[in-house]
Amino acid sequence: MPPWDNFEPFIVSGLALGGVYALSGVGLVVLYRATGVLYLAFGAVGALGALVAWSLITRAGAPGWVGWLACIVVAAAVTFGYGLLFGPALAKRDPLVKAVATIGLTLILYGAMDLLWTTSGGQARSLTLPTDNGGFTVGTVQVTWTQVIALGAGVVLTVVTSAFLRYTKLGTAMRAMANDREITATLGVPVRRVEAAAWLGCGVLAGVAGLLLADLVALDATTLTFLVISSLAAVLVGQLRSIPVTFAAAILVGLLHDLLTPIVALTNYRDMTPFVIAVIALLVMSRHRVIVTSREEA
Amino acid sequence: MSEPKGRGAAATLERANPVRLRRRPTRPQLVKWGITAVLVLFALFALPQLMSLYYVDTMTQVAVYSMVAVALGVLVGRVGLVSLGQVAVLAIGAWSAARLLFATTQPYPLILLEAGLITMVAGVLIGLPALRLRGLYLALITLMLAGGITVVLATVNFPNGGHGFLGYNGSLLHIPPIRRPSIAAGDPAYYRFSVIIAILMFALVLAHIKTKPGRAWAAIRQSEAAALAAGINTTLYKLWAFALASFITGVAGGVLAGAIHYLYSINFPAQDSITLLAVVLMGGVYNLWGAGVAALLYQFLPSLLNNWGVSADWLVILFGVGVLQVLTTAPAGLVDQVPRDLARLRHRLSRRRGKRAPHD
Repeated sequence: MPPWDNFEPFIVSGLALGGVYALSGVGLVVLYRATGVLYLAFGAVGALGALVAWSLITRAGAPGWVGWLACIVVAAAVTFGYGLLFGPALAKRDPLVKAVATIGLTLILYGAMDLLWTTSGGQARSLTLPTDNGGFTVGTVQVTWTQVIALGAGVVLTVVTSAFLRYTKLGTAMRAMANDREITATLGVPVRRVEAAAWLGCGVLAGVAGLLLADLVALDATTLTFLVISSLAAVLVGQLRSIPVTFAAAILVGLLHDLLTPIVALTNYRDMTPFVIAVIALLVMSRHRVIVTSREEA
Repeated sequence: MSEPKGRGAAATLERANPVRLRRRPTRPQLVKWGITAVLVLFALFALPQLMSLYYVDTMTQVAVYSMVAVALGVLVGRVGLVSLGQVAVLAIGAWSAARLLFATTQPYPLILLEAGLITMVAGVLIGLPALRLRGLYLALITLMLAGGITVVLATVNFPNGGHGFLGYNGSLLHIPPIRRPSIAAGDPAYYRFSVIIAILMFALVLAHIKTKPGRAWAAIRQSEAAALAAGINTTLYKLWAFALASFITGVAGGVLAGAIHYLYSINFPAQDSITLLAVVLMGGVYNLWGAGVAALLYQFLPSLLNNWGVSADWLVILFGVGVLQVLTTAPAGLVDQVPRDLARLRHRLSRRRGKRAPHD
């Protein structure tokens, strides 16, 4: 076991990573609760946004904030467009079908990104936020503002989204739709509009997560596209509906992943962390009752 | 076990009422069998003569992935279980086959059988707890498990002739290739070998679909509750489907090991399982031909595009569009849609001609 000093920097980076996972997880949960769609293209739209931002900043010489804004706008626009186009068409299908359909979007975006921003040739891209340079030290550990923002965004979003779903009219409508779309529609809730709002919110979160992950992890289409699987683990622990549990699981995944890094025997296996946590959680939960994904299956 | 009894009963009945029970194959059926036979013979004997070695190797891959696709097709189309981790299962099969091939001198078909059985055990062990979940959760847990297996394989590495249980030696300068059966050492011969194995696997699937398990699966797919009420042991048959799919995928992994000679964990990225599901859905999951179409989409088209100098990324985009199209308008995939659309076109054309005829 390495000395404690070696772990300290990884606590900070782990919390930051966990914060972004929480951010992604909350975005996924909100959309799932409102529309029943598990948005597997979450990572892909974030990656697309980040790559567009990179092109704007390094190629077109745009100022940084234009790029970051473009990242969020692109991710939100793609998500919103998909939601408008395929949301209603698949609304009555099984959650599994809806999730697999977003795999279609993932593949389209992934292929397009690989085509437009070719990764072969080994030239690594990077997207650095100005908050990387500033920072402060806690004890002996250097903390960048980006890491603070990452964790902060996760925490703030979790609190704000929970409050939003709990106390606002739109949030109540989303929760009602999670229970039963048909009855909610009968009660006079503009179902399509509420769904559109959820898609837009999810897209904005995807853009923010893409921007932060591009900085914290790597600006690479493959990595970012499939990083969604890691936040998916947290969402699964939260059974696709609980925001606080998703947040806690996301922090745990991020923290554990980074804390395993200095342990020589386990460092190669640290990427398994989200999968192991998700599998254990799913199996423990399913011991007592069968998890039901939709009313028809019950 | 119920097979002989069933046949005996049928035979007695047949004697009592020969007209009703002796099912003569109908004409369309005969035509279908004929086409199948011609296609199989063509694939076995004519194709390797017609194609360059590049495409022979590609077609070997097509044979391998047609097995993977037919296994996934059984899970998705017959039982309604979506697995997002089939590439990890393929990797387990390839790993066990490679380890056995380096460790023993057993004949290749025996090794394939063993690799299939090992993978089957692994699949059942994974499936046993996973089957408590259903639908979306099952798909996601297979994705998670596949992610975990991929990480383990990346660390453990594939056997390369080293010693010990794992059979990997990182400091080996000369890595021996994974051997092939002595009768199928060359590429065309190995291609024929893999086609024959693929045919056997398709026959195995067909034998399941036409008999009791197939009917049980059909009932489970329609409604698990109704199947349970009808006295079907749903857990057993779901597990059976998992076992069958893992076995076939494991055998495919064994064939793959000999086909490419050297195995690396980067050959089996977890995200390929997602693409695989996409092409299997595109090909069509309710029809065995769909698996062949899926394998052609997955392995032949990339080679073709590569030969033409077109980026394979266009294919990924095409697969994405295909998934969306299958899910929204054509649930049975290309295998069903293309003939239907052609028939409709022919119908429309002939109707137009028919309308015009009396006027002229």
